[in-house]
Amino acid sequence: MPVNFPDVQGKRDTVKEQVTEDMLKEVIDLYISETDSISLLDIPSTFVSVDADDAEPIMERNNQYAEACRSRMDNDKYVDQSVQTLNGATKNKQVQSDSIVMVDKATTVTSWDVYDSLISPDTGNNASGWVLSPVMSLLACIILLCFSSASAASSLKEVEALGNSLNAESDLQLIMLSEKFQHCLLVMERSILGNIFQPQLAAYRQLPVIEDPESPVKPGMGEQREEDAESPRSPAVVRLWAFSCELSRGSSVSSMAWNKKNPDLLAVGYGEFGSSNQKPGLVCCWSLKNPTWPERVIRCDSAVTSLDFSSNNPSQLAVGMQDGSIAIYNVKSRDNKACFISSSGCPNRHLDPVWQLRWTQQELSLTGEEKVESLFSVAADGRISKWFVSNNGLDCIDLMKLKKSHNTKKKAGGTTTGKKTESVLSALTPGLCFDFHPTDASVYLVGTWEGLIHKCSCSNSQQFLETFKKHFCPVNHVTWSPLSPDVFLSCSADWTIQLWKQDHHKPVLGFTSTQRTVCDIKWSPKWATVFGAVNEGQLEIWDLNSSILDPVIVQPAAAGVKMNSLLFAPQTDCVLVGDSDGQVTVYQSIDSPNLLFSNLTNFF
Amino acid sequence: MPPFPSQAEVEETLKRIQSQNGVQGIIIVNTEGIPIKTTLDNASTVQYAGLIHQLVMKARSTVRDIDPQNDLTFLRVRSKKNEIMIAPDKDAFSNKTSFLLY
Repeated sequence: MPVNFPDVQGKRDTVKEQVTEDMLKEVIDLYISETDSISLLDIPSTFVSVDADDAEPIMERNNQYAEACRSRMDNDKYVDQSVQTLNGATKNKQVQSDSIVMVDKATTVTSWDVYDSLISPDTGNNASGWVLSPVMSLLACIILLCFSSASAASSLKEVEALGNSLNAESDLQLIMLSEKFQHCLLVMERSILGNIFQPQLAAYRQLPVIEDPESPVKPGMGEQREEDAESPRSPAVVRLWAFSCELSRGSSVSSMAWNKKNPDLLAVGYGEFGSSNQKPGLVCCWSLKNPTWPERVIRCDSAVTSLDFSSNNPSQLAVGMQDGSIAIYNVKSRDNKACFISSSGCPNRHLDPVWQLRWTQQELSLTGEEKVESLFSVAADGRISKWFVSNNGLDCIDLMKLKKSHNTKKKAGGTTTGKKTESVLSALTPGLCFDFHPTDASVYLVGTWEGLIHKCSCSNSQQFLETFKKHFCPVNHVTWSPLSPDVFLSCSADWTIQLWKQDHHKPVLGFTSTQRTVCDIKWSPKWATVFGAVNEGQLEIWDLNSSILDPVIVQPAAAGVKMNSLLFAPQTDCVLVGDSDGQVTVYQSIDSPNLLFSNLTNFF
Repeated sequence: MPPFPSQAEVEETLKRIQSQNGVQGIIIVNTEGIPIKTTLDNASTVQYAGLIHQLVMKARSTVRDIDPQNDLTFLRVRSKKNEIMIAPDKDAFSNKTSFLLY
């Protein structure tokens, strides 16, 4: 009888699939599901309930069977018979399997490893949910399979031997261009500069200067300290450092402004004045953390004459230029051409240098909630304009036109024809500076070329509220006192500084110290009687509490360099001075006990 | 995060750092600790790269063990003669680690 031995058939040629590295690393999904129930043995019960329908015949049969069993012994109907079963021949069969490879694997579990694996679903690890990254040691095949999927999670840590020379070059490229590397470089540069400038920066921030106990004492520093100890404790300024770089060398600093939100960020505008050709200007945003290279460099089409940061959007910087155009840059982006908006398309734009720009918040009268900020500018064409953003750039409305006062028309100097054409061309006098009242933002002062200071209101664009006459040369700067109401200062090319009170037509005090034009003047933000002035040759700090005839501190400019702009640093007692060589020097005023007493109201 | 500047700017920044007062050298290292750019001689570079890599791993492991959401941002080793500053990359053990000697 042919017996079927199905397992002895010729071995099928199964194509062995080449298992590649990738396949091993591939994550294989295993699905476990329930099959239908398979009955292997089903023996129905032989018990029948007494109350069942067919109980009667079953009970009958049971009785009959019991009857038959009882009568079996001596009954002729039943005979004993024996049967034999056939036993098949047994055969031995041997089977051998592949040896089970066992590998020992270990890893150190750290809490961050577990954390990383749990929260990083997008690292290519598609193992459904459960993670096996910290696997202690492997003992069986099944766990080996699971480990291959878990190894995808820990493959981040695996050191891949790709370090041959071919890849090093591409590695370098990749690294150089990545953002994170630039961030590392930035942090590194700042740390080094922090080390180098630590004493100066600490002095700026009014922190105690930490002496490095192991570092070799630099001879220069030692001398300086000796000098300080020997000199009498008179008020003076100490030069801390200077912001300068090759880009700005040679250009003259025209204006500086602090960022309203980040007090460490300073924007400086550079431009070359005096030459008739329009050379491109530069705006550098410096950070205190890096005095050797600006954080942002913005090249402008023409020399920069004024700048201001916005308070509502702290990253917007408005820049006014010598050709009359105004541009608003966004300093957050590194892109040089990230010029937000420019006024070059506006038909009403200024055609002459924009001497001053200011962002001012004026309360929105309707809701009273949000302070709307607008940009105001004063330019050499005699107009004061308020700018707003329209769809294709900036647009402006004129707040005020600075009309020439009658006095100048009577000046009959020069040829009459020359004078006549002048008055025909424009009856406006260039405005050089303006300042908004610190509390009432609709009132502002304007200083003009003629030497007059006009007080104007935003709501009245025809007439000046008041005119202050004292200077006979262009008024370079006018500034309200931030701490004392109704007091303002003006400085002019006639070598004088005048202190005015709002309702007095004559200045309360006048100051002269040298016979040079006073370029810039600023009130100190902390002390109400202190202001700083810069004329071309020196920096002067005046303290009205101690002397009204002479400045308290005088710092001469470096040789060959003219100082032309000034800025007080908020929160600290430092002054920044910009000069004609493109350097912005930071001076700290020390040992000024008089400056501690401050109350201008006492003075008046 | 500002968009990445060109490679020229990166080179310039590296040059500026190198030219600062007191900086002895810069080494840029990739994931496995192999230096890919250096301004020092070969022997020192290899030595520094090998030693510092282990230190950074240990430091990072320490920081993250205490709080897994934290990460190492900067490491400074100050010694009698000089100071080593290390700026590792944000990604754990991935591509870039750069550090320099000061």
